[in-house]
Amino acid sequence: MKRLRTAEPVGASSARESWEKIKASRAKLAPTFVGAILLALLASPAGAVTVTSCDRQVSVAQPPQRAVSHDVNMTAMLLALGLKERVAGYTGISGWKTLDPSMREQLAGLPELAARYPSLENLLGAGTDFVFAGWNYGMRIGGEVTPASLARFGIPVYELSESCAHVLPGRVASLEDVYADLRNLGRIFAVESRADELVHGMQRRVAAVQARLGEQPTRPRVFVYDSGEDLPFSAGRQGMPQPLIEAAGGRNVMDGVAGSWIKVGWESVVEEDPEVILIVDYGERTAAQKRDFLLQHPALQGVTAIREKRFVVLPYLAVTPSLDNAAAIETLAAALHPGAFAQ
Amino acid sequence: MNRYRLLLLGLAVLLALSCAWSLAFGAAQVPLERVWAIIGQHLFGITPQVPVNSGQDSIVWQLRAPRVLLGALVGAGLALVGTVLQAVTRNPLADPHLLGVSSGAAFGAVVVVLYLGEFAGLLSLPLAAFVGALASMLLVLAIASRSGRLHSERLLLAGVAVSFVMMAASNLLLYLGNPHAASSVLFWMLGGLGLARWELLWLPALCLLLALVVLLGLGRALNALMAGEQSAVSLGLEPRRVRLLVFVVASLLTGVLVSLSGAIGFVGLMLPHVARFLVGAEHRRLLPVAALLGALFLVWVDVAARTWLAPQDLPIGIVTAAIGGVFFVALLRRR
Repeated sequence: MKRLRTAEPVGASSARESWEKIKASRAKLAPTFVGAILLALLASPAGAVTVTSCDRQVSVAQPPQRAVSHDVNMTAMLLALGLKERVAGYTGISGWKTLDPSMREQLAGLPELAARYPSLENLLGAGTDFVFAGWNYGMRIGGEVTPASLARFGIPVYELSESCAHVLPGRVASLEDVYADLRNLGRIFAVESRADELVHGMQRRVAAVQARLGEQPTRPRVFVYDSGEDLPFSAGRQGMPQPLIEAAGGRNVMDGVAGSWIKVGWESVVEEDPEVILIVDYGERTAAQKRDFLLQHPALQGVTAIREKRFVVLPYLAVTPSLDNAAAIETLAAALHPGAFAQ
Repeated sequence: MNRYRLLLLGLAVLLALSCAWSLAFGAAQVPLERVWAIIGQHLFGITPQVPVNSGQDSIVWQLRAPRVLLGALVGAGLALVGTVLQAVTRNPLADPHLLGVSSGAAFGAVVVVLYLGEFAGLLSLPLAAFVGALASMLLVLAIASRSGRLHSERLLLAGVAVSFVMMAASNLLLYLGNPHAASSVLFWMLGGLGLARWELLWLPALCLLLALVVLLGLGRALNALMAGEQSAVSLGLEPRRVRLLVFVVASLLTGVLVSLSGAIGFVGLMLPHVARFLVGAEHRRLLPVAALLGALFLVWVDVAARTWLAPQDLPIGIVTAAIGGVFFVALLRRR
């Protein structure tokens, strides 16, 4: 099927149409079908690109023209790569109110195909020819929309590397995930130089932070607070905050938990005694409300971060795998090691 | 009998029309005449007179058509199972999910989502759910049958007990696992027909047909059991045998259906009552009507699930419970 599509000159949607036609008339037109395969075999090396996504190989015959991305972080990556004209729409932003103010204008004109997770019908209805999503980022294990279910319609899926932890247990999040995603998208959309530019830009900013930090005698303990009242929702070592905190010279107090986004107990927060609390800002409750809730939580009164009121607020976009991770590291590092950033 | 045949025919025609018409509903806008054109092309090879693009063709033929048919099969199957269970347990509240089969299936689904991943591709979830359902059924049977006897009260209680234990195990895993994954499982538990595919439809269709044949054959025995154990024995029947057979058939059918659609509640509880209201409690007459009504009901409930929150799909279990509950209350008040 993939090979067949390479035989088509332009646009995966027209390729898919012709595939449908070929399929419908397969019985009658067997010679044409064989001919198409031969043609495809000859044509395939030309434009086809193959990249690794989690544990799969994903091939695209031509750069996608009607891509769909899920959530604000992945959509932001496509826009930063200058691909707005090749994005057919996005999904899963308004449903969780994760829209970053900085993104509002950039998204203008793009339709949101589904407020939460897309259905197959949402994607097919939009004429999608490529999907950029992740596990529990628009796709559920065993759910309706997965790389396997989309393969039936000839729609390739690239998975957010950080989310591969849900299908490849034991995987730990790192900044390399973001770089790899940008580079792979660069290859898929044939915008490699723009992708390299973005990666180098991020690497430069991270290196600048490292240079400023130098050798710090301590690594302040950081607790990530996403939401939750009866139980806090935090990030373990498979989530993106882990490498961000590390790069900023801190230690994630929940790094012992093999999970990405996890529910923990207030007791373990008290026990770990974080020195700084990182509040993830999105959704119905404002960062100030989250901060007030934590300050007033009776069990937390002895915790250092609460006593010293040391909070860092970062938008959702900055703590999920995205280009804004560099800014997150800068903000975090300055908050964790004010001495090194004083001058 | 004549009026009954007319009713059956009417329901069957209504079901066929409903299936066809419901193809026009969904998140994406596909005008009715294009839907007809697509169906005509695939079923009868008629070249479409209106322009149809490949996206619309996929939506109608690959997504909606198998989904509508799966909805009809699941609705028919659950209504059938509910009817016979209410008869053998003589309990008007008996329901396919009371048997513990659904919670076993849910446990299988939880294990896949949290730990196994897609070990068998698109079949992973249905396969694991069915294994869970089967395990539950055997457990219920083992608990309910002491020294070869199978009492209806014991059966119901064992089903409830196994359900609780299975739910506890699922909830424990969900609690320990990733909350995002937990929401995936919740989505599955609430039921949905989004996983329907042509390649999978033969299985529920075959099971439904076999179950219908077996249960129709047991029609007289079911009538007798519903009247009471005494009358069954006096007719020369062995109530235990009948009960065991009905239970196994019901569990297997429920297991297959639940593994494809999640636990859709209320169909198996409510539709048998509606059917009895229409044609009385003679099972050879009752079973086909219950099955047709169940199919008709679920086809339309799924239309609601697809359109109410469009472009989002609403889990169908929520809609069955909501519509079903209101409808049931209205029915009770009229009687």
